[in-house]
Amino acid sequence: MKLAFVVQRYGAEIAGGSEAHCRAIAHQLAAGHEITVLTSCASDYVSWRNTYAAGEQRDGAVRVCRFRVQQTRDLHAFADLSDEVFDGAAPRDRQEEWFRANGPDVPELLDHLRQRGATYDLVLFWTYRYAPSFFGVPIVRDRAVLVPTAEEDRAIDLDILAEFFALPAAYLFLTPEEQTLVASRAASPLGPSAVIGMGLEPTAPTADRSLLQSHGIARDYVLYLGRVDRNKGCHTLLDHFQAYAGSVASDDVTLVLAGPATMRIPEHPRIRALGYVADDLRRALLAHARALIVPSPYESLSIALLEGWNYGVPAIVNARCAVLQGQVRRANGGLPYRSGEEFCEAMAYFQSHDAERRAIGEQGRAYVDREYRWPMVTQRVERLLGEVKRTKR
Amino acid sequence: MASEISVDAVTAELRERVRARLRQRLTLHHASPAFEDPELFSDVERLLQTSINEGDGNALLLPDLLGDPDTWRVQTVLHYQSHRSTGAGAIVVFFKRRVIMPFVRWLFEYSRDNFERQRRVNQVLFACIQELAIENAALRKQMRQESPESGVRPEALDAR
Repeated sequence: MKLAFVVQRYGAEIAGGSEAHCRAIAHQLAAGHEITVLTSCASDYVSWRNTYAAGEQRDGAVRVCRFRVQQTRDLHAFADLSDEVFDGAAPRDRQEEWFRANGPDVPELLDHLRQRGATYDLVLFWTYRYAPSFFGVPIVRDRAVLVPTAEEDRAIDLDILAEFFALPAAYLFLTPEEQTLVASRAASPLGPSAVIGMGLEPTAPTADRSLLQSHGIARDYVLYLGRVDRNKGCHTLLDHFQAYAGSVASDDVTLVLAGPATMRIPEHPRIRALGYVADDLRRALLAHARALIVPSPYESLSIALLEGWNYGVPAIVNARCAVLQGQVRRANGGLPYRSGEEFCEAMAYFQSHDAERRAIGEQGRAYVDREYRWPMVTQRVERLLGEVKRTKR
Repeated sequence: MASEISVDAVTAELRERVRARLRQRLTLHHASPAFEDPELFSDVERLLQTSINEGDGNALLLPDLLGDPDTWRVQTVLHYQSHRSTGAGAIVVFFKRRVIMPFVRWLFEYSRDNFERQRRVNQVLFACIQELAIENAALRKQMRQESPESGVRPEALDAR
């Protein structure tokens, strides 16, 4: 099939979850299909400033067409508009304006879909909230497959989405919870869909801790992986961990934060903030962590959680996020917490029940083996795309 | 370890411990003596938790009964307005938006975050009241149906 992948940013160096998902699927499908990625020249999702050259490039077997961002995002105007539309009852044109202002503003990409959209068998769109998807899906709705990467945040409650979610010919979801969320917001039943998740390569166990030792990382640590940001629930994680550290007498465990920080991290003898970490250190951290902590209140799929399980590491997750709670229950691979007290109990349990901790981590790994290896994920995608192509309106 | 460990069972055990400590703390602080009954405490907690989990703003009755949202709803959005005529008004609005606002945005965002929290608390309280009202109404209905046998006069119940 000739497939177009529309995504707000694209590149090996782009850190975003949906962008990484798009690129991974593109590379997996490129062996059997002709893949063209239609994207912006931006690398930064805040301003959408043009950084890549416009035009055609190659990313391995994948063809990449980049379109210039016409207007960067005015952050203050966007913040005001967000306040207005999220306050509720904003008229339809203001909600539409919110999607336009959210960007990236790539009119030539939309022109390409108008002029050349019919030359693709199917057009896959990543992330409903950005302008290329919101304005692109209606142009090629008969062949549009949306990968919404929807979370339970304020944007999902915009009532303009009821009509929008009824447009795509099909859906690819990351989790069953995301599927339920989008179905609950759509004006009519969704078209064909599949829950695909994300593929991971198996990992080999390693006893070598030398890289960790060279970075001075304590023997026993729990790990947070990703951007250290309030939106990711890190402020509550830090509060909960300090409460836990204050409640136990011994220096039994350290919290290691591996990711760039956008918030202040308190000085604490048992909190280590590493900032951005290279891939080899990231792998070593995952391989030896006692548990992975995922405090985020909003997720459409936690890839970090899957990565932890891929190393047999059990998780402690924010139970107020339905997706995390669902992932953990399906995998039988971690403990959810609703409050600081429950977080401390989960930490204490893993510290005092080592055999159970390891077993729960292994249950997580078995779940990844069952559900998230690339051949299975690719098969789910292929099956849905084949069905949509056959039954295209 | 051959057999599978149920994380639901472990979570339930950990939550029970937290619940017991919480109940103890509340009774120490002279909460209702009813909380001395662990089963009753557990029921109360479950009911409130359900309200928190399922307090969808669109599924609540109280907002409709309260009437015009402008008279009670916490307003988090800042509208730039002027009472002056079109030309002068536009200048005033531009001045507010582009000159004053950048200097006071931090204060606005701080207030807005707190208003957002208050709005969430209000919604949870609405949901709790709705749950309690439903339970109360269901109990009244049940008692009315059982009143001939129990000797309770339905009109006495309704008069309360």
